[in-house]
Amino acid sequence: MHILVCVKQVALPGASGSRINRYDEYALEEALLIKERMPGTTVHAVSVGSQRVEAVIRRAMELGADTGIQLSFEPDEEQTPYQVASLIASYARAARYDMIIAGVMAEDDLQMQTGPMIAALLDYPYASAVIAQEIRPDNTVYVERECDARQRQCVELELPCVITVQSGINRPRYPSLSNILRAKQQEILRPSVPGGNMPAARETVTRTFQPEIKPKGVFLGGTPREKAARLLGILHEKSFL
Amino acid sequence: MKDCIVVIAQHAHGRTDPVTYESLACAWALCGGDESRIRVMVAGDPGQAVARELAAATGFTVTAVENDGLGDYNADAYLRALGPILAGMAPGYVIMPHTCFGYDLAPALAVRLGAACITAAEAARMNGGKAVFVRTASGGKLSTEVVPETDIVVLTNQPGAWKPLDNKMGTGGTVETVRSDAGPVRSRTVGFKQPEYRGNALAESSVVVAAGRGIGTRENLALIDDIARLFPRSAVGCSRAVCDAGWLGYAHQVGMTGATVSPKLYIAIGISGAVQHVAGIRDAQTVIAINNDPAARIFARADYGIVEDLTRFIPVLIEEYNKRYGTPQEA
Ligand SMILES: Cc1cc2nc3c(=O)[nH]c(=O)nc-3n(C[C@H](O)[C@H](O)[C@H](O)COP(=O)(O)OP(=O)(O)OC[C@H]3O[C@@H](n4cnc5c(N)ncnc54)[C@H](O)[C@@H]3O)c2cc1C
Ligand SMILES: Nc1ncnc2c1ncn2[C@@H]1O[C@H](COP(=O)(O)O)[C@@H](O)[C@H]1O
Repeated sequence: MHILVCVKQVALPGASGSRINRYDEYALEEALLIKERMPGTTVHAVSVGSQRVEAVIRRAMELGADTGIQLSFEPDEEQTPYQVASLIASYARAARYDMIIAGVMAEDDLQMQTGPMIAALLDYPYASAVIAQEIRPDNTVYVERECDARQRQCVELELPCVITVQSGINRPRYPSLSNILRAKQQEILRPSVPGGNMPAARETVTRTFQPEIKPKGVFLGGTPREKAARLLGILHEKSFL
Repeated sequence: MKDCIVVIAQHAHGRTDPVTYESLACAWALCGGDESRIRVMVAGDPGQAVARELAAATGFTVTAVENDGLGDYNADAYLRALGPILAGMAPGYVIMPHTCFGYDLAPALAVRLGAACITAAEAARMNGGKAVFVRTASGGKLSTEVVPETDIVVLTNQPGAWKPLDNKMGTGGTVETVRSDAGPVRSRTVGFKQPEYRGNALAESSVVVAAGRGIGTRENLALIDDIARLFPRSAVGCSRAVCDAGWLGYAHQVGMTGATVSPKLYIAIGISGAVQHVAGIRDAQTVIAINNDPAARIFARADYGIVEDLTRFIPVLIEEYNKRYGTPQEA
C-alpha cells in the first residue's frame, strides 16, 4: 500500500504557537497501523502552506511518516479547502497513492471539505468520518462511518480511495527516539506540482468577528466562595438540592 | 428565469429526516420571495414515497431521482446520480443539512458543479443582492462572514440554525420522477450498525454532570464525581474529547455522535460548547456552565455561567455544600 496522509498546521486563538490538527494525528496513526499490518506499505505525509508548515511535516515524520512533502502555497493565510484540495490532488494524481487519508475536519476552520474534494478531483470513491477501517484482499476497503445518533454506516470502497477519519478511531502513538532523530535530518520533499496554477478561491471571508457570547441567563459574580454560595442557593431554589 | 434553489432531502427508513425542513427554511430565506424557485430532490430508496411525503408537506415540486444503483446513501452513487442532473439545471444554490449525509456529499458535489462550497452555515443575509453567510471558525472562537464568488453555491445548513419550514405554499405539491444513468459505482453501503452500550443512565437521569477536556487529567474526574454525588439521581456525561483521551467510555459521550440527553439540569464543566456537543443537550431544561474562558461558546447555551478554574472552584463548592448540608451520603 502506498498511502498519503494530509496534515494541517493549526494555530488556535488563545493557544500558544501552532500544532498538528488533532484529527490528522488520528489519520496518520491509522496509516501507521496499516503499515504494521501490511509490510511494504509506505506512508507519506503532505501539508499545504508556506515555510511555516515545515514544523507539522517534521512532526508527522517524528510520529513515523516515511516521507514528508510540502506543497507551497503563498500567501497561505486564507487558503480555501478547494484550493488546498486542488494542490494535493494535482500532486497525488501523478504519485498514484492507493489510499489518501485526511482528518474529518480542521480544528481551526471547521470546514470538513478537503478530503471529499480531493476524492472528487481525482474521481476516487470516498467516505468521511470513518471510525473503523479494514483493507480486504480483493482491493477493497471496508469502513464504518460515524453517523448521527450513534449509528454507524458500513460502506465498501474500491481502491484507490480517500477516507477522512474521526477522532477516537485509534490511540495516536508518541514519537520514537529513532524517528525523532531521522525527522531532524531527513529532507522534506518540495515537488513542483504538475498543471500547477492554483485555482481562484470560490468563496471569500469578508469579516471575522467575536460573536457576542451572552449566557441565556446570567454570569454569577463575586469571589469563588460567593459564586459557590450563589450556585447552591439557585440549586436549592430550583429543588435540585 | 431566476436560478432555482435545490434542496437535497435527507431521509431514512422511508421517512424524511426532520432536518430537511431546516434546509427548506434556509432555501426560503434565500429565494427572495419567489418560492417557485425552490425545488426539492430525493435520491435513493424509496425515493417515490419520500418525495410524495415532502410534496404533500411543503407544496413544492419534488423530484425523485431513480437509478438502479441507488439504495441507501453512499457518496459515490449519489454523486454520479445527482451530479449530471444538477449540472443541467444550473441552480443558484444546492442546499443540504450539515449532517453525516450533507458534509459527506456537499464538498464533492461542489467540485463536480464548479461551485463555491459553504459548510455549516448558521445564518444568511442579503447584502446588495448578494448573499452573505455566517459560519463559525477559529476553533469555535470566532464567527466569519463568507460570500460566494461563483454562480453556483453548494451549502450545508448547521442543524438547529434555521427553524423548520412548515407548509408555506398551502397546497400539496407535485412529484416528478427522473431516471439517472450513473454508470458503475465504486462504493456501496452494506448496512448500518448500532454500537452496544451497557445501560442508558444518561438518558434517564434528571441531572447530568458533564466533563470536558478542560478537566485536564483523568484524576480530575474525581471532582466531577464530587458534584454528581450531591444529587440523588445523577449521571456523569462528557464531551467527545474526554472519550478520545480514554478518560471515560463512549457510553458517556453527549452530543451529535453521542447521547442526546434531556435532563432537568445539565452541568457542563470544562466544555467549550462545540456545536456537535451542544446538539446533544437541546432539550436540557437548566444548563450551568463552569469554564475559565468567559468567551467559551457554552455560555451562550447556559442559564447560569461561572467563570472559574474548575480545579479551584469545585473544592470550594463542595466545602460550601458541606457547611450547609453536612457531608453527602455515599451512594
Ligand atoms: C463529525 C463530528 C462529530 C462530533 N460529535 C461530537 C459529540 O457528539 N460530542 C462532543 O462532545 N463532541 C463532538 N465532536 C467534537 C467537537 O467538535 C469538539 O471537538 C469537542 O466537543 C470538544 O470537547 P471539549 O469541549 O471537552 O474540549 P475543548 O474544545 O478543548 O474545550 C475545553 C474547554 O475547557 C476550558 N478549560 C480549560 N481548562 C479549564 C479549567 N482549569 N477550568 C475551567 N475550564 C477550563 C477551556 O476554556 C475550553 O472551553 C464532534 C466532532 C466532529 C467533527
Ligand atoms: N493546508 C493543508 N495541508 C494539508 N492537509 C490539509 C490542509 N488543510 C486541510 N487539510 C486536510 O483536510 C482535513 C479537513 O480540513 P478542512 O476541510 O479544512 O476541515 C484536515 O484534517 C487535513 O487532513
